[in-house]
Amino acid sequence: MAVFVDLNITNCKDVKKLQNMIEMAAHLGYSTVAINHVFEFESKKMEIGKPISTKELFSTLPTVQGKSIPIKILTRLTIIASDPSHCNVLRSTSPSTRLYDIVAVFPKTEKLFHAACTSIDVDLICINVTEKAPFFFRRPPINAAIQRGIFFELVYTPAIKDSTLRRYTISNALSLMQVCKGKNIIISSGAERALEMRGPYDIATLGLLFGLTEGVAKAAVSTNCRSAVLHGETRKTAFGVVYTVKKTCLEEEEAEPVCKKAKKS
Amino acid sequence: MDPMHGRMREQPKLAGPTSYERIVLKNPSEHHYMKVQLEFNGEGAQLSATQFKLLVVSALKNLHGEVGSSLPLDLLSFDEKTLCAVLRVCSRGLVKLWSSLTLLGHYKNHECSIRVIQTSPFLLALAGNSRELDLE
Repeated sequence: MAVFVDLNITNCKDVKKLQNMIEMAAHLGYSTVAINHVFEFESKKMEIGKPISTKELFSTLPTVQGKSIPIKILTRLTIIASDPSHCNVLRSTSPSTRLYDIVAVFPKTEKLFHAACTSIDVDLICINVTEKAPFFFRRPPINAAIQRGIFFELVYTPAIKDSTLRRYTISNALSLMQVCKGKNIIISSGAERALEMRGPYDIATLGLLFGLTEGVAKAAVSTNCRSAVLHGETRKTAFGVVYTVKKTCLEEEEAEPVCKKAKKS
Repeated sequence: MDPMHGRMREQPKLAGPTSYERIVLKNPSEHHYMKVQLEFNGEGAQLSATQFKLLVVSALKNLHGEVGSSLPLDLLSFDEKTLCAVLRVCSRGLVKLWSSLTLLGHYKNHECSIRVIQTSPFLLALAGNSRELDLE
């Protein structure tokens, strides 16, 4: 079964607030969250900081609702790129981006969007939802991004805050959907407060509003996010990631009646 | 639900007796029921059932306009202490109602959010939540 993932919880200095948000995410049923570190180049010489250590946030991780496993916390870096030079940090295998599980880029111009889709080594491309899209989404770069396994991220928190932003969110989402046909989309919160988060099924329904079909909308909060996380892992290592899981006591399970097996899985 | 309602019985064409009878359930249920809870940051506002209904209808109107706000929608129960409510909506309007509840973020200058606890085509299903069962 697919587990639900929210790949965008805004990082803040206030640890208590961050803990609140992660607890809320676990309560709503998200199995994995990523803490988003936004990085904007203000001057030429700025270093990308280190991610906060996820281990120090909780002594015992909150349990995901409906499951008995603790929530998984990842780190994510979002680079706001308004100039081609900003992407240099991503091109090289720089040690600063290696510390993060997921790397995203927020392209401000069409050229950078094209570069992000075709050449820059990232996992996510953020779609602007707070203003009218400054450029048209064209098919070639988006097809290239889908081919490379890069995901487009839509954020829903602005849509909750304000009705104008809601209009931009929906119209930009719809114009993106026209080109990418619902492929490689993820929807995440971008929440700054616990109350701004919504449950995974609520977001899957919201996806219908963005022009996704039911199955694709659910994938946008579950399997697509997982693919993005795995894409991040391959970026860190080499070509691919293989997980091996030990299957325990197969024979014993088979001896059990069917109804018991269903409960376990 | 009336067991006969919505079922189509096909008479066997053969003269001889058949051992089976085919029953096709044609229509999905007419209504969907949603159990929702209004949540505030810290201490929020006090609401009556009427105010809650108004909040839901205005949320619908904000997102879907006049057509959305005229959906057949009923507030079946509302608990003023826990701010828990059960809504009934025609199945066609479920997505509209749900998406507008999702995008609701304010009530009278208070931040709020509506948590959809359960949704089902059968009212009886809302009596218990399978996610809160203690399976030990």
